[in-house]
Amino acid sequence: MLRKKILGILLMAAAFANVLNAQNSITISGNVRDDSNGETLIGATVIELSSGNGATTNEYGFYSLSIPAGKDSLAIEFSYVGFQSVVLKVLPDKNQTLNARLGVGIQLQEVVVKANSFQEQMNSTEMSVEEISTREVKVIPALLGETDILKTIQLKPGIPSGSEGNTGLYVRGGGGDQNLIVLDEAVVYNANHLFGFFSTFNTDAVKDLKLYKGGFPAQYGGRLSSVIDVRMKDGNDQRFAGTGGIGLITSRLTLEGPIEKGKSSFIVSGRRTYADIITRQVNKSNADNPDFNPIPDYYFYDLNAKVNFTLSDKDRLFLSGYFGRDVFGFNGDFFDFSFFWGNATGTARWNHVFSPKLFHNLTLTYSDYNYNIETKVTGFSFNVGSDVQDLNLKSDFYYALNNRHTLRYGGNVTRHAFGVGRLKAGSDDGAVSFSGGDDFMAYSFSGYLGDEMSFGKDLKINAGLRLSAFANDGRLFGGIEPRMAALYTVNQGLSLKASYARMYQYLHLVSTSGIALPTDIWYPATRRIKPQFSDQIAIGIEKLLGDKYMVTNEYYIKWLQRQVDFVDGAQLFANKNLEEEFAIGNGYGYGMEWSIEKQEGQLRGWVGYTFAIIRRRDFQPVSEGKLFSGAGTSFFPRYDRRHDLSVVLMYDLGKRFTISGTAVYGSGDRTWLPVGRFSFQDVYGADFQPIVPVYGERNSFRLPYFFRADLGIVCKFFPKWGESDLTLSFFNVTNRRNAFFLFIEPEYAEGTDPEINPLAIPTGLAAKQVSLFPIIGSLTWNFKF
Amino acid sequence: MKLYIIILSIFSVSILTACGNLEKEIDLELPFYESQYVIECYLEPGEHFRLALSRSVPYFEPFPEDPSEFVSSILVDSAEVVISHAGKEYVLNNEIDIVYFLNKTKVYNYYLPESVPVDYNSDFLLRITTPDGKVITGKTRLLPPVPIDSIIVEFDLERDTLARVLTYLTDDPAQNNYYRRMLHVNSLDSIPDQDFVTNDDFVDNKTIAFGSSFEFEEGDTVYNTLFHIDRAYYDFWNSTFNAVNANGNPFGQPSGIVSNVSGGVGIFTGLSYDQVVTVVKK
Repeated sequence: MLRKKILGILLMAAAFANVLNAQNSITISGNVRDDSNGETLIGATVIELSSGNGATTNEYGFYSLSIPAGKDSLAIEFSYVGFQSVVLKVLPDKNQTLNARLGVGIQLQEVVVKANSFQEQMNSTEMSVEEISTREVKVIPALLGETDILKTIQLKPGIPSGSEGNTGLYVRGGGGDQNLIVLDEAVVYNANHLFGFFSTFNTDAVKDLKLYKGGFPAQYGGRLSSVIDVRMKDGNDQRFAGTGGIGLITSRLTLEGPIEKGKSSFIVSGRRTYADIITRQVNKSNADNPDFNPIPDYYFYDLNAKVNFTLSDKDRLFLSGYFGRDVFGFNGDFFDFSFFWGNATGTARWNHVFSPKLFHNLTLTYSDYNYNIETKVTGFSFNVGSDVQDLNLKSDFYYALNNRHTLRYGGNVTRHAFGVGRLKAGSDDGAVSFSGGDDFMAYSFSGYLGDEMSFGKDLKINAGLRLSAFANDGRLFGGIEPRMAALYTVNQGLSLKASYARMYQYLHLVSTSGIALPTDIWYPATRRIKPQFSDQIAIGIEKLLGDKYMVTNEYYIKWLQRQVDFVDGAQLFANKNLEEEFAIGNGYGYGMEWSIEKQEGQLRGWVGYTFAIIRRRDFQPVSEGKLFSGAGTSFFPRYDRRHDLSVVLMYDLGKRFTISGTAVYGSGDRTWLPVGRFSFQDVYGADFQPIVPVYGERNSFRLPYFFRADLGIVCKFFPKWGESDLTLSFFNVTNRRNAFFLFIEPEYAEGTDPEINPLAIPTGLAAKQVSLFPIIGSLTWNFKF
Repeated sequence: MKLYIIILSIFSVSILTACGNLEKEIDLELPFYESQYVIECYLEPGEHFRLALSRSVPYFEPFPEDPSEFVSSILVDSAEVVISHAGKEYVLNNEIDIVYFLNKTKVYNYYLPESVPVDYNSDFLLRITTPDGKVITGKTRLLPPVPIDSIIVEFDLERDTLARVLTYLTDDPAQNNYYRRMLHVNSLDSIPDQDFVTNDDFVDNKTIAFGSSFEFEEGDTVYNTLFHIDRAYYDFWNSTFNAVNANGNPFGQPSGIVSNVSGGVGIFTGLSYDQVVTVVKK
């Protein structure tokens, strides 16, 4: 029934749009690209200079602009951050296609930004959005020199940067599982390598990243707290080119070039760590040493590939894919152990221009995340794993009805296949056999309609509605998700914005750790675990100071319903009754974000500050008999961070050097500490436990504040074959010991070893703090040709 | 050129500094904690009634200067302890009973030299009235032991001279079963080589095997103990294990203690087990 309704709304919207086609104006449309490599430019501005009417390119580089029909030619200006503007003349006597290619202004600077990028931001109804391009990311210092677009975006306000060892993304009080991460529109279920210290996004293969914290347009849905839209590069359609680098832990190589110049191109990119190559040699050289414990193998790699074809003036086809794996293995004398996990995504996208006003994108995506642990011991084996696979068909229409209405409508259907906690173990002869796991086949549907409306020059409203549904476990869940964003332009230098969004989430991440573990797995809504939803209201002000500085100040409040947590001592790994470990409750978060940003000149960067309060409440275990400490009360989640301040600065020192620095201060994460203890004798044969902790109120203790400053120096070289640079990074340059976690260590009388004497009684207890990262220097050589 | 020298110097210093200590002692102020009663009572068919009643303390309460006074410092005396079964009441005396178990001596402060009846069909009820008038209650039922079917010793002579021990048992698929497995080498006094609880959720064909790595030498004596435990003890043991292991484990999740006594914290359960002692031979 719901499916029919969604389809009905889509058809109505299409018909409505066609009927209202205005006749006294003509429409110019086309795409805007980087002249040097053919990359589409997203968010480029197109302005008819005499009237000031304008449009921006959508996420596929397409624009549509209605201008008055006439016999005199009009000037159309195309501009984009970091590129020289182009003005093209057009005779407005009929609808026509007008494509533009923009060139980089000053070749030697990585980040060249025009001040009008702020103006574009101020003229948009979009708020609570953060964007970053890989060009910025590459000069900002990073852990072990591994520049990472997902980590860098965390330096923006409202996205608390990971504290020591906590690699989760907690956007505006939302949980770590409430972020929809898509790469070329395909969902990436676990965007992490090595417990989340690195993301799966190879900076060389990525074009840009856009993160929505609120004010979600109707086309986005599926998670409560953020949408992270990562776009891969399309590939250079002008000439064969390459980029790469050799770093402390990885090496990268990207090759791209035209298949048919100006019409089609490819890009292939790879990255791999190489610590295992060294450790294998160490193991080999110590093979005869009986006291040597072999070092396990660990490595990760990413492969990205994309091709695109311009089939005609109206058709463009993109095929892209990603494959990444983390591999951990150990081969002993008597057992072999391997643990591998990773994502695979595939995207086939067809852009078709039905008319100068109507653009369509049809996307077929495939996403897969799985992990497998395989252990073999003589005569026995043990395999455990989980996976999630999506096949998604999505249709999006972009209809520039006139300069006052831009409609977006579309829908998608996704088939989700979940294999949760698959376990197969036993003896090779089959005499002993263990097996288990749950398989789910679920379907999600959505349809949406959004209209960006202009009321005069001062007021714009983007109103939309999204209908979503999810079928699983014999149940159909539905959600009505209204969206609204408004912009009031007080003057050219001052904008007021407001937004409201309801979001539904039908998948839950099964994880209790602040660290992204590969065994974290997604679990669909079922009869007992119903979908989460949230409502968020945000208001904001954007103020241009001169033409170089932009000040943004936003306030938000978010209510979260049916939030997921897990009971005390939850067994999330290889559990046949996983749902019994869930606890469901509500929550809320509110706060303020303030930032000032400068995007041009020798000195660039931003300062962001966030004040936030987050609470969770009314949690109850799903299963009776399970314990959830703090059930029915209100408590802070672990990632409740009251204050968060980040400073990012980049300074060009002549043509050759760029110095960059970041500093992050944040209130400490919350933690759950014992307040009492008792002793447990246990049964005969078992060890005496003199100290069994009794934990107090959940997350009632705050860790010491977090502070980290990083420094980076980029030194460029200009050999004949291209360009190269040496990037030196100092992570945690003040060498501050931030708290990763606390623990309490028993102290014993001299000469007492509790490992030998199980009855040993401590003489005292000492609280200790463990840090992960001291100052870490790294050197990376990057090149491009 | 000077800039390069400066950069490389900083780089070198950073590498050296990175080797510094990442652990440091800090001061913690914990909130007020109100002491609770702690109960441990294992009813072993045919054995005497024994119960330990102690109290929990604030986490940072100082330990007795003399370690031998530790246990007595937390025991709670002068309580009334009654276990009822099949219409009969067993009143435990407030007297110390020490079960000398080599290094693993167990101390109980409530004791009755009367045998726990072997009855797997009716409940045992616990009622404790503490000196301050609080009442602690609990309920349990004995479970029959699950016998160990066989012990197989296997040598891997191709690669080494060490052996492993496989312990087989038959699980009753008609009910949910919980087990505790212990394995000691050469002495029950030793720290267990294996000690964990498990259930039969994933068992396909009745047969369960517990294995070991290839670690035993010829002549070793291996004590295989299989406890058949109830769900309450399984949950209590797991929660205790989780609470202990969350300290010092960044991946660990703190856990409250899942007790089966009301009015306090602890466990009141039956104790039935099968034990097979095997000498490793080729």
